[in-house]
Amino acid sequence: MSDNAGSRPVIFLVARREILIRLRSRVFRLGTVAMVALIVVGIGAATLLLGKTTPVRVGFESATQTLEQAFRASATASGAEVTVSDVTDDTSGRAQVTAGTLDVLVTGSPTDPGVVVKTTVPALVATALNGAVVDARLIAAGLQPAAVATAIGGAHFQVEALQPANPQRTPQAISALVVGIALYVALGLYGTFVAQGVVEEKATRIIEILLATVPPSRLLAGKIIGIGLVGLLQLSIIAAVALVLVSVTNVVSIPTFTFISILGYLMWFTLGFLLYATAYAAVASTVSRSEEVQGATAPIQVFLIVGYVAVYVSIGNLSGPLATVLSLLPPFAPTLMSVRMAGSDVPAWQVGLAVGLILVSIGGLIRLAGRIYSNSVLRLGAPVRLRDALSGK
Amino acid sequence: MVSVKRALEIDGISKRYGDVVALDGMSLEVPAGEVFGFVGRNGSGKTTTMRIVLGVLAADEGEVSFDETPLTAEARRQIGYMPEERGLYPKMRLAEQLAYLGELHGMGPAPARAAARTWLERFGLVDRAQDDVQSLSMGNQQRVQLAAALVFDPIMLVLDEPFSSLDPVAVDVMSAVLRERADAGLPVIFSSHELELVERICDRVAIVNRGKVVAHGSVAELRTGAAQRRLVDVPNAAARWGEGIPGTTLVSRNGSGLLFEIAPGADDQALLQAALATGPVREFHRVEPSLGDIFRTVLQEDAS
Repeated sequence: MSDNAGSRPVIFLVARREILIRLRSRVFRLGTVAMVALIVVGIGAATLLLGKTTPVRVGFESATQTLEQAFRASATASGAEVTVSDVTDDTSGRAQVTAGTLDVLVTGSPTDPGVVVKTTVPALVATALNGAVVDARLIAAGLQPAAVATAIGGAHFQVEALQPANPQRTPQAISALVVGIALYVALGLYGTFVAQGVVEEKATRIIEILLATVPPSRLLAGKIIGIGLVGLLQLSIIAAVALVLVSVTNVVSIPTFTFISILGYLMWFTLGFLLYATAYAAVASTVSRSEEVQGATAPIQVFLIVGYVAVYVSIGNLSGPLATVLSLLPPFAPTLMSVRMAGSDVPAWQVGLAVGLILVSIGGLIRLAGRIYSNSVLRLGAPVRLRDALSGK
Repeated sequence: MVSVKRALEIDGISKRYGDVVALDGMSLEVPAGEVFGFVGRNGSGKTTTMRIVLGVLAADEGEVSFDETPLTAEARRQIGYMPEERGLYPKMRLAEQLAYLGELHGMGPAPARAAARTWLERFGLVDRAQDDVQSLSMGNQQRVQLAAALVFDPIMLVLDEPFSSLDPVAVDVMSAVLRERADAGLPVIFSSHELELVERICDRVAIVNRGKVVAHGSVAELRTGAAQRRLVDVPNAAARWGEGIPGTTLVSRNGSGLLFEIAPGADDQALLQAALATGPVREFHRVEPSLGDIFRTVLQEDAS
């Protein structure tokens, strides 16, 4: 027909519809706004908590003022930010601490001073003060502090930690965990969107009109591509906001959130989405009502959850055998490999192997899912058994 | 519009689901420019036949051709189809949805939008073009459904129960559109249980039973093959008069009016004489069997 001029490929048309409808939906807009707000609040809170750099105000009363110079030097050396002031007497110093205009009051004799604070002495201030008092005592004993320092310097020893501090606490591990959670949520969410989309077309019966003109495989491909692109867009918006905020506030200066590493996480989302969305679509096509989607997709959800739990279990040892093996297996690679890349150094061959394995699995699954989908999608009513869907009975 | 006679030919298609035979050598021809009615009980194979024509299902045997060539996927894209189970995206705007379906059937974006608008105007829905389908009344949703089958200027219409649950106004719209499309040179085939409607608007009819055509032709042609009927009004006849008159069967009795079926080859004058013997005869005339009567007779014959 003459109207054919300029007609577009079916996959493009189907994908475009999915994108338009979803970008316009309240779920997408509110969801994006909510997640961006969460990130702004989270990074804002982290800036306030971690980035508190107000100097500690230390006042020295009469006799202890001889410690000031040594204290200042010692504090600078250990990285503690302090301001030093003279206090005329013990009583006025205590009044200043109570009033909150002074954080620490040093009083008494230089070799055996007392310290007055509201609650606790900041650790770095205590260390610096300790150094100043030791110097004062050495001088009182007729020794040169510099000479003593030279004498005891160079006494190196090797540290062997039998119970190292929990690496889960490090900012890098926390960011890796955030990456894992984000991927788990995104894969589950967008996979479910695909499942619901497939069932929606069955439940509203439009599927028969569509299949009269579109081959099932292209309908499925268009749907998965469209929803995947929407997911990618939403994650990119969120990642971009996080990237900008982190670089502005400078709250986390670790390699987890560089531009390149974020591209890596988006790649893993794409691969994971292709795998999971295909599986979700196949099982969803066997049921006819939206209430049945949850039950039908539960077995796939299990894989996603196992990968999620494995992230928590292995976060302390991201190069250990559990994390290494699971991060190579296609169902768990998207979350675990991303977390490993975020939280540790992963050998390139392992990343390459994981990508290769998941690509092969996606290829196989698409074929299988296409068959299940084609054989099930027109059958309304009772759920189609997977065996029947595969054999086409 | 193309004026060449392009007929839809269904040639001996069969379809089995396990042990269930859905179609058993179904054959029929729908010439271009004809409205063709497809009647039969539920489960007789109407929907399966239509799905096979559309390529939604594959036949085990047999062939469907159009314009004397087997239907290709590309040709099937040009068929206007309305499935028995109606379906549209409830949360998609009317104009967008129709344009989308137009593009899926191979139109370019601009012609698809223009065609969507044309059909919305035709059905008086142009004010609702930006509304979601789910906000429309049932009657209007059915109009959109019909527009969905027409928007891409199809080469043929295949409609499964297009009249079911339509309000009387929508029935008129639907009948007019089917006739108009047939006049434009398309083969139009539809199934229906509303036999009076089929009788009124179809050029030809096929009666199907158990997966194959058991009778087909124009309603007039089908009538000539059907048994002759006579209505006799005999007010003074005895209560049990009418039974056992040679060459006739009493079909029904309504007060003094009796309906007889004349056995093939029998003479209706014997019946008239028997009637006159009872006293005055107020009425004696031929009754044309309705499509419903023909349908029941054909199915009875097929069963025996």
